[in-house]
Amino acid sequence: MSAVIEIEGLRKTFRSVRNGNRVAVDGFDLLVEAGQIHGFLGPNGSGKTTTLRALLGLVRADGGRMSVLGEPSPELLPRVAGQVGAIVESPQFFGNFTGRRTLRLLARAGGVSISRVDEALDLVGLRDRGDDRVKSYSLGMKQRLAVASALLKDPRLLILDEPANGLDPAGIREMRDLMRSLSAAGVTVLVSSHILGEIQLICDHVTIISRGRRVAAGRVDEVLAGHDRHEFLVRVDEPERAADLLRTADLTAVADGTALVVSGTTDPTAISRVLGEQGLWVAELTPLRPDLESVFLELTGAGEHPSVPRQVDEAAGPRGADGTPVIDLDVRGVDA
Amino acid sequence: MNLVRAELERLSARRFVQLMIVLLVLAFGITAATTLAGSHRPSADEVSSARQQAIEARQNMEVSYQQCLAQRDGISTPDTQEYLPADCSDMDPALQDRLPIASDYLSGVFNFAEQAKPLLFFLIAFLVLFGFLVGASYIGADLNSGGVVNLLLWRPRRLTVLGTKLGTLLAAMLALAVVASVAYLATFWVIGQTAGLAGQLGGDFWSSLGAIHGRGLVLVLLATASGFAIATLGRHTSAALGVVAAYAVVWELGARLVLAIVDARRPEQLMLSTYIGAWLDGEVRIWDAQLCRRNVSGVSCDGFYTLTWRPSLAVLLVIAGGLTVLAFAAFRRRDLN
Repeated sequence: MSAVIEIEGLRKTFRSVRNGNRVAVDGFDLLVEAGQIHGFLGPNGSGKTTTLRALLGLVRADGGRMSVLGEPSPELLPRVAGQVGAIVESPQFFGNFTGRRTLRLLARAGGVSISRVDEALDLVGLRDRGDDRVKSYSLGMKQRLAVASALLKDPRLLILDEPANGLDPAGIREMRDLMRSLSAAGVTVLVSSHILGEIQLICDHVTIISRGRRVAAGRVDEVLAGHDRHEFLVRVDEPERAADLLRTADLTAVADGTALVVSGTTDPTAISRVLGEQGLWVAELTPLRPDLESVFLELTGAGEHPSVPRQVDEAAGPRGADGTPVIDLDVRGVDA
Repeated sequence: MNLVRAELERLSARRFVQLMIVLLVLAFGITAATTLAGSHRPSADEVSSARQQAIEARQNMEVSYQQCLAQRDGISTPDTQEYLPADCSDMDPALQDRLPIASDYLSGVFNFAEQAKPLLFFLIAFLVLFGFLVGASYIGADLNSGGVVNLLLWRPRRLTVLGTKLGTLLAAMLALAVVASVAYLATFWVIGQTAGLAGQLGGDFWSSLGAIHGRGLVLVLLATASGFAIATLGRHTSAALGVVAAYAVVWELGARLVLAIVDARRPEQLMLSTYIGAWLDGEVRIWDAQLCRRNVSGVSCDGFYTLTWRPSLAVLLVIAGGLTVLAFAAFRRRDLN
C-alpha cells in the first residue's frame, strides 16, 4: 500500500522567554497508508495536535521529514491541499453566519463547487439546520459543521482532531458510521481521539504518542496482542484450593475473592482439565484480553497512580529493551 | 479571485464593520440634519446688509493700516487707546490670508465653500478611525478565533492568504471612503444650494478640496494597513488599540512634555501627529522660538518653519510600510494556534 502520510523524526520545541523551552515532539514517526482508518492516541500534551499542525503547515517543525499524499509538507502541501480535508482541534466559525453560508464561503475560498455544500451538510446530519446561525448550534452541531467543512473538498485524506468532541452517543455513532463509509469509499482517515473505545471500534491501525515520541504503532489487534498476558478469569467453588491445584500444575494463579486470575498457558482447556480432574467444576472461564484503554494507560503511564492527579507532562516516554513498552508492529515501519 | 470574493463576503458580514457603517451613517445624518435645520437661504436684505458690513470691515482694516504707517513714520501721534504692532505689515490688508466677505456677516446661513474643508476633515478623521479599527479587528478576530487557521487548511499559502486579506480590506475601505466622502460632500453642497449659500466655488476651490480628499483617502488606507499590521504582529485586535493608546499617552503627550521642559528644538518633528496634519493640509507652519533668536542679521524673522506634504508622506509610508512588511515577515514564520 502507498503511504498517504509519512513523518520521520519530527521535532518541535516551543521556545518562550518566560517559560523556557518545551519539547513538544521529539523524533516522532508516523506512517499512514492508503485506505486505513488510523487512530492517533496520546495523553493531553503528548504532541498529537502539534504533530498534526506541523503536518498541515501551521507549526514550523525544527527537524524531521513529512509528506502528505507523496508531497513534502509543508513545502509542497499546496499541491495536494485540495485533496486533504482537516479539522484541527475545534475550529471556530462566525456565530452570525448560517452553517450553509459558512461552508459556502470556505467552498468559494477553496475553489470547490458550491453544490458540495448541501452534500456535506447532508453527510454530517445538518441538512435541516443548515440555515440556522452557527451561534445557535450546540457544541456537537459545531463539531459536525467542522467535519462538514473538512468533507467539502471530497478529500482523499481526512485528518480529524478529536472529531467526537461534544457529540452525544448517537452523534458519536453517526461519526463512526461516517468514517467507515468514507473509508469504504477509499478515503484514508487519520483520527485523533481520547475516546479509546471509539478508536478500537473504528480504527484498523493505531499510533500512540507519549511525550512527543511514538510508543506504539501498528494494526490495532496486533498492538493489543503485544500486550496480551494470556490471563484467564476463573470462577470456581473453593478458589483457594483451586489456586493450589493450578500451581501444582505449573500455572500461575492468584485468588481474588470468589475468582482466580490464572496465567502461564495459552490453552484454557488445561485449566478446566486440572480443576475438573479434582472435582472442581468451572463456573466461568474468560480470557482477559487487553483493550486499547489498558494498553494506552500502560504505555503512556497515565494510569499508574489513580489516586494521584497526573500532570500533563508526566506521561511516560518510550522505553528501551530493558523493560521498555515501545512497540512497533508496522509491517513496514517508517524506517524501513 | 474566489478568495477575494470570500474575503469580501466575510468582511461585509462582520458585525463590527456593520456597526461602524451604521455609526458613519448616523454621524453623517445628524451633521446634515442639524446643518439643514440651522441654515436658511438669506433674503436680499440680509445679503445686502452683510455686503455692507464686509465693505466697512475692509475699509476699517485699511484705515488702521494707514494709521499704523503714519505713526511709524512720525506723521501722526500715537493713539494710546489703540494697540498698533511694531511691524505694520501685520495689519496690511493685502497680506492677510483672507479679507472679510459678506458671508461672514450672515448668521444662520450655511456656506458650503467655507465649511467644505472642515467637514471633509471631520469625515476623514472618522474614516481613519474606522479604517484602523476595522483593519485591526478584521485580522485580529480571525487570528484569535482560529479563522485564519481554518482558511490555511484550505489554502496553505500564508502570504497569499494574508495578502488577499489586506488587499481586499484596502480595496473595500477605499471604495467605502470614496462613496462616503462623495455622498457627504454632495449632500452639503445641495444644502448650500437650497438652504444656504454655495459660496465662492471658483478659482482653485475644487482642486484644493480634491487634493485634500485625495490625501485623506491615502491617510485612510495607511491607517487601515497599520491597524491590520499591528494586530497581525500582536495576534489580537487589542494589540493595535494598545499600541495606539500607548503611543498617544507616552509619546505624543509624555515625550512632548519632556521635550518642552528640556527645551528641545522642533519637538513637533518627532511627533507623528505633525506629519499627519502636514500631509492632510498640504503643509503646516510650526513656531520655532530659536529660529529668530539665532537670527542676528536684522532681516525680518517670523519664527515659523514649514513642513510640507512630501516629507510627511515619506514618514507615513515608512511607518505604515514598515509595519506591514514586519507583519508579513512574522506571519510567514510564526506558529499558528
